[in-house]
Amino acid sequence: MKKIDPLLALTTAALSLPVFAGNPPTEKEISLRASSYKEDDISKTSVLSGSPERYKIDKTHFRLLTPIGSNWSTEINTSQEVMSGASPWGTFSGSDEQPSLIMSGATIKDKRTEVGVSITNYQDNASYGVTLGTSHEDDYKSRSIGLSAGWDLNNMSTLGIGFSFSDDDIEPTDAKKFGRIQQAKKQTRSFSVSWTQIINANSLLFSGLTYTNKEGFLSDPYKLRDTRPDKKSEWAASLKYRIFIDSKNAALHLNYRLYNDGFGINSHTVNAEWHQNISLRWKISPRIRYYSQSQADFYLDADDFSLPKTVNQSSDHRLSGYGAITAGIQANYELSGWKIKVGFDRYISDNHYGHDSSRYSHPALLDFNLTSLGIEYKF
Amino acid sequence: MGCPCELRFYGKKEKEIENAFRQCVARAKEFEHKYSRYLDDSVTTSINRSAGKSRTTIDQETFALLDYAQVCFELSNGFFDITSGTLRQCWNSQTTELPSQIQIENCRSRIGWEKVTYSETEIFLPVKGMELDFGGIVKEYAADALVASAQKNGVEFGLINLGGDIAMVGPQADGSPWNIGIVHPTIKGATIAKIELSSGALTTSGGYERFIEIDGQRYSHLLNPKTGFPTDSMLSATVIADQAVVAGSITSIALLNNEKEGLRWLEDSKLPYLAITKNLDCLGTLARTD
Repeated sequence: MKKIDPLLALTTAALSLPVFAGNPPTEKEISLRASSYKEDDISKTSVLSGSPERYKIDKTHFRLLTPIGSNWSTEINTSQEVMSGASPWGTFSGSDEQPSLIMSGATIKDKRTEVGVSITNYQDNASYGVTLGTSHEDDYKSRSIGLSAGWDLNNMSTLGIGFSFSDDDIEPTDAKKFGRIQQAKKQTRSFSVSWTQIINANSLLFSGLTYTNKEGFLSDPYKLRDTRPDKKSEWAASLKYRIFIDSKNAALHLNYRLYNDGFGINSHTVNAEWHQNISLRWKISPRIRYYSQSQADFYLDADDFSLPKTVNQSSDHRLSGYGAITAGIQANYELSGWKIKVGFDRYISDNHYGHDSSRYSHPALLDFNLTSLGIEYKF
Repeated sequence: MGCPCELRFYGKKEKEIENAFRQCVARAKEFEHKYSRYLDDSVTTSINRSAGKSRTTIDQETFALLDYAQVCFELSNGFFDITSGTLRQCWNSQTTELPSQIQIENCRSRIGWEKVTYSETEIFLPVKGMELDFGGIVKEYAADALVASAQKNGVEFGLINLGGDIAMVGPQADGSPWNIGIVHPTIKGATIAKIELSSGALTTSGGYERFIEIDGQRYSHLLNPKTGFPTDSMLSATVIADQAVVAGSITSIALLNNEKEGLRWLEDSKLPYLAITKNLDCLGTLARTD
C-alpha cells in the first residue's frame, strides 16, 4: 500500500486556503535595472584588418507589474540598449591555416528600444495571458504576440502551454555601398508546453518542451559571405529542479537544456545556482553555467568565395562548435518593500571546452563581462 | 477567539505598527464572528441549525476549510473529525460521573464526518443534532492569516499567539529568535522546555489544560469519536511547521491517538517535535539532549 506523507498532504491542503493560495498579485511592483555588457577585445594577431575592439552594450530595463481588480494583472516592460563596437565581417585562412578575421571599423553604433505589454486573467485554477511586443533598431524591427495559459491541477501540478509569433523586418545599413541585401523579412512561430510538479514542501521539478519554426532571411547581412537556409526548425527540452535545504537555509537550482535545430546544431546547457540566505535581508547567490554546441552542417572555418552564392555557408563563430563557461555571483539586499540586486558574470568560450567542437577555435569566440544593478519596489 | 490572544509587533514607524495592529484585531474578530459555535449568526451556527433539515450555502474560504478537514479526517483514520464536538454533551467540566453507554451511543449517532456532504457552494449535515466545530482548525488558520496581514502591512518583527498557537511574523527586533516556553503538563505555571524560533509556527496540543475529573481520575478534554471516550494519549505534543494550521493538525492528531501511535505519527510527520509522555519523558527532535 502506498504510504501517504502526512506533512505533504496537509501542506498541500493548507495551500488551498485563501491566505496561502497562489492568487493574482495584490501588490504593485516596479523595477529598474541597468547592466553593462563588455566583450573582450580580439587578439590583434587574429585580425587581418579592422578594429579588434568588440561590442559594448549598455542596457536599462524598466518593469511595472500591477493588479487590476481582483482577477487581472498587467505588466509593462520597456528596455533600451545602446551598442557600439566592431563585428566580424569574414574569416580567412591565415598562413598557418589558423583562421583570421576581417573586422568592421569600430564605428558601429546602434540603439534598440523594446516595449512589451502583457495582461493576465486569473481564474480559480487557471490563468490566461496575452503579450504584445515591439522592438526597434535602425536596421531591425520586430512585432510580436504571445498567448499563454496555465492550469493548476490538484494543487500539485501546473500544466502550461504557450504560443508566440513574431514578424521582423531587416533593413541593413549601408546596404547599397556594400552590396548587402536591402530589405528582408523573417517570421518566427513558437509553441511550448510545460509541466511543473511540486514534489514536496521543499522541492519542485519543471519540464518543458518548445518547438520553434523560423522562416525568411536567416543569414547575417553584414558578413561578406553568409548564406543560410531560409527555414529552420528548433527543438528545446528543459528540466529545472528547485530544492530548498532547511539545514542550510538555502535553495539549490539545477537546470538542464537540450537543443537541436535544422542547421545541425546540438547543444547542452547545464547550470547550477546556490541561493544562500545570510540574514533576513541579505542573500548571496553564486552560479555557474556550462554550454556546449556542435557546429552547423554548413559551417566553414574560413569563407569560401569559390562557392556559388546560393550554396549554404557561414563562418559565423556562433555556428561553430565550441563550449563556454560562465561563473557569476549576485547579492540581494531587501528592506521594507525595497530590493537591491548587484550581479557580476564572467563568460569565457573556446573550442576546447566543447563536446563536439570545430577543428579550429574560432578567433571571434567571445569572452565577456556582465555587470548589473537592479532596484525593485513593491507597494 | 475564546482564548487569550497576544500580538507583539516591533518596528520603527509607530503609525505602521498601529495600523497593522488594528487590521489584525479586525481580522481576528472577523474569524470569530464567522466561525464561532457560540455566536448566533456565525456560519458554523447556521450550518448546525440546518442539520437534518436543509443545505447551507458556504463561501470559498469555508469550502477550503472543509476540504482541509477532510484531509485531516483521512490522514488520521477518522480520529480528527470536526463533527465530534457533540460528545461534549457527555463529557464537559460539569460532568461528575461517567456517562452511561446509552448516553455515549446517543452522541455517537450524531457524529461522523463521512456522513456529511459538501460542495464548493453548499454543505449538508444529514442528521438532526449533528454539529460542526471548526475549533481545531480555525484558530491556527487565523494565526496564519494574521501573520500574512501583519507582514502585508509592513511589520517585520513580531509574533501572533492565539491561545498557544504561535505564528511568527518575524524574529525579535534585534534579529534574535523568540524564546518560547512550553507549558509543563502537570505543574501549573511551570515550563518544561524552551524553544527558539524566528519564523514559521509552533503549536502545542495537550489534554491537560482543560481536564475532566471524575472520582479522582483525570480525563482529557480530547474525545475519541470512535469510542466516545476521552483519549488516552501522551500528555502534550509540540510541533514546528511553516504554517500554524499544519502544525496544529499534526499535534491534534497526535493527541487523538494513544501514546504509541501518537509518537509514531509525530515521527512520520518529519517535523521538529517535542512529545511529553505520560511518564513525563520529553521525546523528539526538540527535546534537550543534555
